[in-house]
Formats: sequence, C-alpha cells, structure tokens
Amino acid sequence: MPGPKPVPKSSPLTRTFWEGTRAGKLMLPVCNACGKVHWYPRYICPHCHSMDLSWMEGSGQGTIHTYAVQHRAFGGWAEEAPFVTAFIDLKEGDRMATVLRGVDPLKPETIRIGAAVRVEFEEQGEGMFVPFWRVEEEV
Amino acid sequence: MSHQLSKAAAIVGAAEANEIGYPEEPRSSLQLHIEAIKNVSDLTGIPISDIQGVFSTAWTSELAEHLGLHPKYIDTTAVGGCSFEIHVHHALCAIYAGVIDIAVVSHGENGWSQRRTGKEGGIDYPRHPDAPAVQGTMPYGFSGPPSYYAHAMVRHNHDFGTKPEDFAHVAVVTREWATKNPRAVMFSEESHEFGGPISLDDVNNARLITWPLTMLHCCLQTDHGGAVIVARPEIARELKTNPVWVAGAGESMGHANMLEMEDFTATSAARSSRAAYEMAGMNAEDMELAMIYDSFTVTAAITAEMLGLAPRGKGYTLWKDGHAAPGGRLPINTNGGGLSFNHSGMYGMQLLVEAYRQLSGTAEDGVNGIAGKQTNASTCVVNGTGGLLSTTGTLVLTAD
Repeated sequence: MPGPKPVPKSSPLTRTFWEGTRAGKLMLPVCNACGKVHWYPRYICPHCHSMDLSWMEGSGQGTIHTYAVQHRAFGGWAEEAPFVTAFIDLKEGDRMATVLRGVDPLKPETIRIGAAVRVEFEEQGEGMFVPFWRVEEEV
Repeated sequence: MSHQLSKAAAIVGAAEANEIGYPEEPRSSLQLHIEAIKNVSDLTGIPISDIQGVFSTAWTSELAEHLGLHPKYIDTTAVGGCSFEIHVHHALCAIYAGVIDIAVVSHGENGWSQRRTGKEGGIDYPRHPDAPAVQGTMPYGFSGPPSYYAHAMVRHNHDFGTKPEDFAHVAVVTREWATKNPRAVMFSEESHEFGGPISLDDVNNARLITWPLTMLHCCLQTDHGGAVIVARPEIARELKTNPVWVAGAGESMGHANMLEMEDFTATSAARSSRAAYEMAGMNAEDMELAMIYDSFTVTAAITAEMLGLAPRGKGYTLWKDGHAAPGGRLPINTNGGGLSFNHSGMYGMQLLVEAYRQLSGTAEDGVNGIAGKQTNASTCVVNGTGGLLSTTGTLVLTAD
C-alpha cells in the first residue's frame, strides 16, 4: 500500500527555509563573510568556513543542470511514476534537487539541459510546503 | 630503542563545542562536531581547508561534505568509546607514511538533546531534519541508487555527445566475461533465466528503471562474502601463494550527497588514482588490467576516464572497441563485474578477489576451486566507488 510522500521536517537550522516556503519565498543561506550562497543550510560556510551566516530571499529562478525519469518509485511517489527528477542550478549559485513540473516524462528527449525553470511550492502534508521547479516557456 | 612511529606526529590543539552538557536549546550532533572543529581551527590557527584527513565514528563523508572538504584520508573506525584514541593512532600512521600532514579527529553526540526532544539525534545524522537528503532529495521521490546515477549519464550525454546506447557496450562486454566465470550469477541460461550472452538490443530494450538506465545498465543484487589477507613482505615471500604487491594506494571523496556533486561526469577517482599512481611510480599507460566498480554501466565508463585509461568523454570506447573484452589490450572486470557476476551492495571486496585471482599467478588453481585466470597481466588498477559517485579508493597492484 502506498504511503504518503516523504515530508521534510523543520529544525532550528532549517526553520527559516521552511517558513519561507510556506510564505511562497525561496529563502537561501548566505555567508556574511564571503557573500556566497550555499544550499543546503549549514552551521558553517563550506566556502570560507565562517560561521557568520544569514538568509536572503532567492529569485526563484534557475536552469536545469541534469535530469532523469523515475519509472520505479516507492511510497507516495509510486502512483505518480513516471516522473522527472532534476538538479537545478540556482541563479544565486549552488544546486537543488526537484521533481520537474511542466514536462512530459514519456518524452524525456524534449527536456533541455540549460532550460529556464521557476520555483513554485506545493503542500506535501503536515503543513510543509516543498519547492518544485517548473519549466518556463522558451522565449 | 623507540619504534620508528614514535613521535611521528603530535596532537597540536583540542577544543569543544560551544555548548555542552545540558544545552538550553537542543543541539544536533552535527552542530556539536562543527563547533568543535571550528574552535580547534581557531585555537591552532590551522584553517579548516588545510585538513587532509577526517576521522570520526559515523557518517564521516557527511561531516567532510558539510565542511566543504575533499579529504585524502577518511576513517570511520567505530569500535565504541575508545575509537578516538584509535583514530589518533591511525592518523599517526597516515602522517608517518607521508599520506597526510594534518588530520582532524572529531566527535559529536547529543544524547541529552535527543532525550529531551524525544526524536532524531544521537549520532544518527543522516536521518536528522538537518540532513541534506531529508531536506533535499527524499521529498522528491528519489529511491535507490539508479534514481540518482541516471542523472550522471544524462549530463554525460549532454557534455560529450554520448548516447545511452554507447554505455550499453559496457553491459554486453561485461556479460561476455561472466560467461567465462562459472561462479557468476549470469554465467549461463542454466545459472539464471536471464543468464548467458546478451546483445545491445537486449540492454537498450530492457525494462526502464530510471530513464535512461534500463535494468541491464544496473548491477545485480546478490549475496557475497570475501576476504583478503595483507602481510609484510618478509612473510609474503615465504608463503605458498604468490604475493600481489600494493604498489600504490589513494582515496578521496567528492561529496556525500549528489546535491553536492560539482561535475556530474567526474568523480574523485581522478584524485585517488593520481595518489595511487604517484605512490607506485607508475601511470595509467602501465596498467595491463583494470577492476572498476560497475554499479552501473555509467559508473564504470566515467571511472575509466577518471583513472586515465581513456580520454574524457570516451570511457565507453574501451568496451565498444573491444579493448576491455576477452582478448583486448586492457581487460576490465574479468569476473563479470557487478553487472553480471555478483554485487552485494558493497562490491569492493569482489574487485580485490578478482584482482588477486588474475595477478597472483597461483590462481590457475582457482579461487574457490574455480579456474579462471583470464590474463597474463602483471599490473592492475583497482577502483572502488562508494555512495552516489561519492567516495573512491584506488589501488595499483603488481605481480612479481
């Protein structure tokens, strides 16, 4: 029997991010010392090892770095298969994983690495909103 | 007279996390690690980026990734409370041997915070809400290794103009080797209903697991047990078996989570093999045989590039052009590989057993009674890949 989709949990380290998704904002950890953004949230900047970290609101824009089509999945995702997973290069730097919206999983060759994507948020249960990325119409 | 290891290294600083004991706010075990490492870095003036060896009792690769490090010595010895003293011993050996100059031994356990919050904690970081997988990939239906590795093949296709069909050659050639190994799961139609030789069409048309990986791009899931004995030269020369020398060894990591994989078509095998070749005083051109972890066809092909056995983007040609096949100039995975011989989850031991079998010259008698010497090679590069194209260990082995 399929269970629910996995729901991330908030923690003191990640609370700002998950409060942001609930408000429709993509909050990103940023280092006050070197100015670089990193994803995922950390206790220390992986670039310069400063612990002076804060948050900024991201643009919600990115591009597809690579992708694949999941024909086999488990739990709450099983009934949605096939679906397209992808790694997204954020406009601000670093990378997030996602399930792509606005693509046809049965025509993977129509998906383009480098294509522009925009973030949106879906409630995945327990009041937690998860960022998903949708392919924008090619201009 | 003191042992040569005596005073070969020193502990140069020590520090703790900012809040220990019964912290006001619950702490994650990772946070305790990171604060302590930051504090000892500040105390000694040694930048965290200078750390070359990371020693801890659990998820050491997650710890190193959080610090943004690509260490060349990784040790997760976990034998209880004395582990950290043992880590110091191991670090002493690694430093004496010249592999590293600076190591951190780190500890973080939040027994109190764990009891207080009644949930995640302890040293169980990979399932904590802070863990990158819990936030970053699990919500999106990623399941097993194929769900991740497929992304590497798609990016390889993009960067180098390759096609999934190119990688299918790896599966076909590796199966050919398996038909020469009676202990291979896919030895024959008698050994397995899908055993025996396979064609490119078989690979391309097999059931999709994660596009573009069909089932035949993926390794088996089997049982396995294996062991090797390592001994000092004086002993090795007196035995009835022939020695296979560890001429070179190296290790590294790129990341723990695929979120942090910088280049989806490259692994840390470039670094670990460079260290191994340098130690051996040899290079890729000197290798007559290769044992390459093949959890997937793409794993083997990319790794061949990282080991310098083929140009970037062209790893698959070793199989496509027959070099890796029986009779080729560089036989690869002569046991039938993880794809068709045996893959138990962690395939590194199978690589070592087969490398010994091919190099020792005493393997005509067989391993487990099965004859199987396929080559006259006297040099072999062995590369294990762990996690999600995450960690690598390379050995250069030689026969007399």
